[in-house]
Amino acid sequence: MSSAAAALTDRSPEPGAEAPSLVVERLTTSIRIDRQWFDAVRDVSFEVHPRETLALVGESGCGKSLTALSVMGLLPEGVGRISSGRIMVDGTDMTAASTAEAQAMRGDRIGMIFQEPMTSLNPVLQVGFQIAESLVEHRGMSRREARQRALALMELVRIPAAAQRLDAYAHQFSGGMRQRVMIAIALACSPKVLIADEPTTALDVTIQAQVLALLADLQRREGLAVLLITHNLGVVAAVADRVIVMYGGDVVESAPVKEFFARPTHPYSEALLAAMPRVDRSADALAPIPGQVPTLADLPAGCRFQSRCALRIAKCAELPPLIPLAAAPAHGVRCWVRAP
Amino acid sequence: MNAPLLEVRGLTKTFKERRGWPIPTTVAVRALDRVSFDVGRGEALGIVGESGCGKSTVARACLRLITADAGSVRFDGVDVAAASAGALRAVRRRLQIVFQDPASALDPRQRIADALGESIRVHGIARGSDVTTAVLRLLDEVGLPPSAARRYPHEFSGGQRQRIGIARALALGPDLVFADEPVSALDVSVQAQILVLLDELRHRRELAFVFISHDLGVVRHFCQRVAVMYLGRIVEEGPVPAIFEEPLHPYTRLLKSSSPIPDPEQAVALGLQEGEPPSPVDPPSGCHFHPRCPFVMERCKASAPALEEVAPGRRVACYLFDETSRNGAGAVASPQ
Repeated sequence: MSSAAAALTDRSPEPGAEAPSLVVERLTTSIRIDRQWFDAVRDVSFEVHPRETLALVGESGCGKSLTALSVMGLLPEGVGRISSGRIMVDGTDMTAASTAEAQAMRGDRIGMIFQEPMTSLNPVLQVGFQIAESLVEHRGMSRREARQRALALMELVRIPAAAQRLDAYAHQFSGGMRQRVMIAIALACSPKVLIADEPTTALDVTIQAQVLALLADLQRREGLAVLLITHNLGVVAAVADRVIVMYGGDVVESAPVKEFFARPTHPYSEALLAAMPRVDRSADALAPIPGQVPTLADLPAGCRFQSRCALRIAKCAELPPLIPLAAAPAHGVRCWVRAP
Repeated sequence: MNAPLLEVRGLTKTFKERRGWPIPTTVAVRALDRVSFDVGRGEALGIVGESGCGKSTVARACLRLITADAGSVRFDGVDVAAASAGALRAVRRRLQIVFQDPASALDPRQRIADALGESIRVHGIARGSDVTTAVLRLLDEVGLPPSAARRYPHEFSGGQRQRIGIARALALGPDLVFADEPVSALDVSVQAQILVLLDELRHRRELAFVFISHDLGVVRHFCQRVAVMYLGRIVEEGPVPAIFEEPLHPYTRLLKSSSPIPDPEQAVALGLQEGEPPSPVDPPSGCHFHPRCPFVMERCKASAPALEEVAPGRRVACYLFDETSRNGAGAVASPQ
């Protein structure tokens, strides 16, 4: 079966710049709380190219997962909606797509993996069947063909003794192996875009390192554009090419990953790094960010971080744009003080 | 050096469970296998390890929330395992626990004043209006406003709830607190607030901690000493930061190299090394880590190495650091 696994991955990378697989343009997503709509994601734009990993980072409630749900078209109806903006996946406008069209895109050209694989897998169906399901659905394969391909996929994600485990159930796998099954399902139809929402947060660190390595390897081979949602800046440093920091639904900083860690510029990004205890150095005193993320209803007008920011000035009452730094135009910062 | 505040020797616990369908069989999970450690007054000992390594069982067995099969726990000279009901009550005033998810440890229908006041009243520390005074003082100590007393747990954010959990652990004036993943459920910025608070308490009250965590960064920041557990056994123990600067046991090295660092220049080693922690139901023979160990030798499969002192204050359970083969390993930390 290893030849089948090899065939899956036999894609030579095309040289030169490629068109982005995922384009998000000025996305604003609103959610309803007590009959009132609040903008939980404001004016977010980014592109993800083949073989590129873009990390969306931030704390609970910053809008990173909501951005991912918007891209997938999985906002809960009546509670969340895309208020404005455009999302293009592999050339198709998801925001203009009908429900059926969006359904056809999901699992085919966009793959998804989530934090807790146990809640995403069906406990009463064999994992081989669950991997094969989308191949039958989207590719019209016969059950037998799909099963063969499911086996190749399980080998691709390096599940040991895959042939014996095709007919196993989710509870018979460990957390790390379940996440591999989820990755196999997500990659079944060779999607262009993979959305990974906290894919390793529930895993132990040694398993996290394995799963991240596997994802990076598959991304290279399959030419995937990966949108990685995470709260862990260590994970960002390990796998991302670009990073976008979100706070209160706004992009506050956007930069190539090396540039970001060399020069974290927004006061919030800086504070996040200073609040993180590190295993590689004996900490100077940790610097917690005072207060907590305000609820959507309490967010201040203008810069949303101003209520917790030490550098606040009068001008912060007005929302700054994402200002490119003079020294590094690819590095944008939404701050009047730091990027005047 | 004074006698340690908490002295744990050879603590062993096996859980029996009926598993399987349609014909269940009894399986034994050895959660703790001869675990020994000391905690000094005002000292924070970190216990790190991955899911299922038994780190939470340590706390429960020390507090006698579960009964250990073998081994002893001495707290300030009192044998906790053999203590009478009365003596145990006295010990528990001084030995408290903080959980990962304070929401599940607080009664949703009890106001904070009652949640904190209950134990103060039950243990006869204060009466009548003095209870309220004590509650307000506790709230102030953990950085919550007096108005918090009248509110219910659901009205608080995760970080604030953890402050309440800490206040409740402090209510009886303990000498040692078991903190079981106290910051794991919190966002980074809030996590730092709680760590700073715990550190203040440690200094102000000369409070000792057994700090259980899977996050090496947090442990390095908060603890003075660390014990690393793997499938029920302590495999390495030593002072911070030496144990992180130069980890000796191959498992500690793997843990360290797998821990993500926010710096792309020295990003985590994304080794594709396969192998997961084996099931504690059926652990490998000898050293439990041997199937994943890059330095495995024949003897590792046959018998488990004992936890031996290899440098002052540093203990390792690994044949690489055995007396007879020490000269070959050469990686022993120089005492500092």
